[in-house]
Amino acid sequence: MSFVSLNIESPTETPVKLTRRALAKQRTRERVLSAARRLFTERGYEGATIRDIAQAAGMSTGAVFASFSDKSELFDEILTADYEVIYAQMKQASLAAATVEEGVIGMFAVAYGFHVEQLPLLQASIAVSWTRSESAERRNRSHLKHIFNLLNGVLTRGVERGELKGEADVKLLAEIIWDVYVANYRRAIFDAWSVEALLSRLSDQLKVILAGARA
Amino acid sequence: MGVRDEQKQATREKVLEAARDLFNETGYEETTIRAIAERAGVSVGSVFTTFASKAEVLSHVMDKRLGDLYAEFDRVVPFLRGSTADRLCSIFAIHYEFETRRVKLFLAHIAASYSPSQDPGVTPYGRNEPLTEMLRDVLLGGVERGDVRPDLDPQLAIDVLKAAYAWNYRLAACRQATAAELSAMMDKQILFIAQGWRVT
Repeated sequence: MSFVSLNIESPTETPVKLTRRALAKQRTRERVLSAARRLFTERGYEGATIRDIAQAAGMSTGAVFASFSDKSELFDEILTADYEVIYAQMKQASLAAATVEEGVIGMFAVAYGFHVEQLPLLQASIAVSWTRSESAERRNRSHLKHIFNLLNGVLTRGVERGELKGEADVKLLAEIIWDVYVANYRRAIFDAWSVEALLSRLSDQLKVILAGARA
Repeated sequence: MGVRDEQKQATREKVLEAARDLFNETGYEETTIRAIAERAGVSVGSVFTTFASKAEVLSHVMDKRLGDLYAEFDRVVPFLRGSTADRLCSIFAIHYEFETRRVKLFLAHIAASYSPSQDPGVTPYGRNEPLTEMLRDVLLGGVERGDVRPDLDPQLAIDVLKAAYAWNYRLAACRQATAAELSAMMDKQILFIAQGWRVT
């Protein structure tokens, strides 16, 4: 799977002419991001300092701070790039589905497939989300909001098709499904479950969750 | 127990108590082994001869707390009444009540369980067997009482309940929700899932 942000792939209508200075700055950012991704993966969020990252990127700490205001911004940038890669695919899977189960499993198949390949980074991002500052958490939640919109869409279409009860609490349902999806990563982390095993479990769990909401 | 063992045990207790308070007051990442030793009134060296790492200290702090909690449950469980959903609501409400007393400590424990380097001496959050067993007993009891469908796979229901329980702590992490708010959220989730195992 490509880790390249979709933003980079999408062609811009008017090609921006980069000055040599801007180009150098861009390259510096990329070098920092790639070193940071490696170190966060190896050592977790707390274990990787800006100094380590600068050293791994072969530059001064000051040069890193010229591109990023702090470590949490650097970390967020990496997670945002990943999120953009999977969001488009999750959206496609959620819209193409004919049933609620197909939509939910399709969406999370994309996410499991992506994150299981780079579990340490996912672990670091979950760990940080439990203890980080409110402002950083708010930035993160805007990504989550988009994913929840997809999930709500899958469930709402299920209600419209008559698959789920009209009075089913879609929001609550989406939250429970999300909790279970995230909690299942523990099986990948501690028990080395494959993507297929995670999806098969999620599909069984989904049956229990949806049982009371089916029309 | 010899004098040496007694001393070692006393050091252990002091260290765990100091660590529990510091992790909760100043945060896990911010607390150093030196600060723990200082608060406990023991030498840094003696902390290291008892525990291999800070992660191990946190793990033992939580083990001790869970021991206390489940001792409380041993007394409470026989008195649980009502439907299966009611009983589950009570069990989780007691958990929220207990953990929000030192919520920062608990959040650090959850966060630490996602650390990429797990120490061998550490029992990460989520490997909480007593909770799983308690939930299983209540669900199977529900089958006997006749308010849970016999074909429900209890393990799947436990997965769902535990996931909802744990992730509700996000409300505590990001907007300092109280135990009552967390329990109210959990009650809604339990009642929702319970619709699916209702005997019709």
